[in-house]
Amino acid sequence: MFDVSQYTFVAAFAALALALLMYAVNAIGVRGAARLSLADGGTWSSSSLGSALDSVGRYATILTVNAFIFLTASLSFRAIEAGHGPFSNMYEFSLAFAWSALALYLYFEVQYGMRTLSLLVLPVSVGMMTYATTVPSDIQPLVPALQHNLLLTIHVAVAIIAYGAFATAFGAAVLFLFQRRDSISWLPQSGLLDEIGHKAVMVGFPAMALTIILGAVWADIAWGRYWSWDPKETASLVTWLIYGGYLHARVIRGWRGTRSAGLLILGFGATLFTYYGNLFFGGLHGYG
Amino acid sequence: MWEADVIGSIWRFFTSVRLALVLILMIASAVLAGTLLDQAPGSVIANSSAYDAWLERAESKYGVWTNVFDALQLFNVFHTLWFRVLIGLLTANIIACSINRWKGIWITAFRTRTRMGDAFFQHARFNASMTAQMPAAAAAERARRALSRAHYRVVSQSEEGAIALYADRYRLSRFGTYLSHLSLVLILAGTVIGGVWGFHDDEFIVAEGATREVGRGTGLSVELVEFTDEYDVQGPPKDFRSEIVIYKDGTEVKRGTVRVNSPMGYDGTRFFQSFFGQTAVMDVKDESGEVIFHDSVPLAWLTRDGERPIGSFLLPDKNLAVYVVGPRSGETDPMVPAGEMRVEMYTQSSGTLTTAENLTQGQTKELAGLSVTFVRESRFTGLQVAKDPGVKLIWIAAGLMVLGLAMMFYFPPKRVWAICKERPDGTAEVRIATTAERDFSQAKDFKNLHERVRLALGIAEEDKSRAEGGKNV
Repeated sequence: MFDVSQYTFVAAFAALALALLMYAVNAIGVRGAARLSLADGGTWSSSSLGSALDSVGRYATILTVNAFIFLTASLSFRAIEAGHGPFSNMYEFSLAFAWSALALYLYFEVQYGMRTLSLLVLPVSVGMMTYATTVPSDIQPLVPALQHNLLLTIHVAVAIIAYGAFATAFGAAVLFLFQRRDSISWLPQSGLLDEIGHKAVMVGFPAMALTIILGAVWADIAWGRYWSWDPKETASLVTWLIYGGYLHARVIRGWRGTRSAGLLILGFGATLFTYYGNLFFGGLHGYG
Repeated sequence: MWEADVIGSIWRFFTSVRLALVLILMIASAVLAGTLLDQAPGSVIANSSAYDAWLERAESKYGVWTNVFDALQLFNVFHTLWFRVLIGLLTANIIACSINRWKGIWITAFRTRTRMGDAFFQHARFNASMTAQMPAAAAAERARRALSRAHYRVVSQSEEGAIALYADRYRLSRFGTYLSHLSLVLILAGTVIGGVWGFHDDEFIVAEGATREVGRGTGLSVELVEFTDEYDVQGPPKDFRSEIVIYKDGTEVKRGTVRVNSPMGYDGTRFFQSFFGQTAVMDVKDESGEVIFHDSVPLAWLTRDGERPIGSFLLPDKNLAVYVVGPRSGETDPMVPAGEMRVEMYTQSSGTLTTAENLTQGQTKELAGLSVTFVRESRFTGLQVAKDPGVKLIWIAAGLMVLGLAMMFYFPPKRVWAICKERPDGTAEVRIATTAERDFSQAKDFKNLHERVRLALGIAEEDKSRAEGGKNV
């Protein structure tokens, strides 16, 4: 089981790296084609270049789906072997983060038929998987504080959904900043990017709230207090507050658009800080 | 009426979303500072000389910034007045906004205008117009059924030559914002209740065989029967557990095992496994051979150099403070060899060292005129004792928060208006429209709804429609 998990991880990694490459070719190609069409005054989608690009994009999607399936398999086999959810150390957590970012990305690609977002979200996944290769991957027995299967699984599963959603929102926000005047023909319209960012936060914000609440429930059981201002706890509160700020900012005139995209980028910074916070600061989440 | 002006501007100040945003971002920054900078423990803050020593250590880390951070109280963010003021302002802001919006939300949910004018149907962001080959009444009935099948609640209103329809879905979700915002207020109330009527004791140490009072008006005491720690073959810990007996006013009321993730409670007071360590069972007799001390001394602290476990007890009649120092763990310890205890006696009033000797297990030595015996090693458990009557309120609030967010984000309220007008030729003009943001998924919703109504009216091809979105991919 452990070996199968490692093999499927490598397969997922390879598929994802290739997918990212093809997404990049697709995006650069679309850009070139857009220029071309301006010159001819014709439409590029009917040209042979256009259809070739379309199939590159389709293959990229298929590869991403494959990477997602392999990664799901890798995490599942590992969970079976370990006897608990694959969320107990940085290796497992990084894979889960990568998985969640992929899941959220694929959802938005299907929902909005848009591939450009991959250029920003998939590198987050690839980065997490690369990081996973640098930390020990062997399965360790759980230390006493983590021996609560139900809470461990739900608390962390909800956390990685939030992280994946915030990664997607980050991707949309960065693209938005490039596209805020709708001046780049090969990028999606700014309004749509703004909406994707908002939709992703609508997934991530409640998930983060639930993560914090479940963490508090668990802390109350394990440590006797629901809140200890532990660094990871506090950092997750900061993250949640920033996205709360973002949700409120959207209803204020003048904050929608550029400034709220700025908050999304700041929020993702806070997300990464929350994710790695235990490595820098130790504290109660210092499990490795 | 300057009073009204002042009250009015205070009200406007507290009801603005901009204030909410500013406060949220300020609190986020404060919390971030509290995460990034070392926070002085409560016991250190309470003692000014301990705090000075703490600051000195902090200076080696933060250098010249130490004084700046200290002046801004950034080493104790979460307990400062200004942090509480920020939280208080946010609470006032939440309550004021909630009151301010109540009427509008109530009207939108329960007293909506069901009949819209022609201008609305022509200029709404999403609108569509169709011609049905049937009388207006029949068209309205079909449209009503189509909307019902899409799980909308439909209200119809007949008038001269026209029938107006209003349909909505998830209207109660408008109150989700109340659940999640007021849950924050309830959470704060819960922390206040816990702070006033609850207590936490992080260092409740009981040695094996000993019984200790919890105090704080609980009337409880705890006996540690046995402490056990288990490890995996590779070394990491597997289980820590304390077998304890709880007494209420001297009578045994509960007996059981406390382990990590499995606390034990009695009458609202709960006991959690927190830490453990070794104790030295010490025995002291005076010149006449009378036992003046016999107890298990927990070596629950560390010596000043942070290397050896240390514990202490007092002999007030002899004006002595006795410190027991255990061997350094890991490597060999030249000062306290493994299996031995170092006993240091200080004059209690002056704090000067009287004598210091090493004792092996079972050995008795004459120290300061007393015969001191290191009987044997034993263990203690460090429990955390907590009583928090606010915690139930916090869980209720947490539930409301999640419910409110789910209502707002996953069951967003939707509304649509329709009008069916009789035409002289016996056909009906059907218009549908909705107020909505420019939004891809709302555009898709409207398109679906339009499609349903169109099919219900038996119209083959699509009529003139101004639905936006959907094409901006």
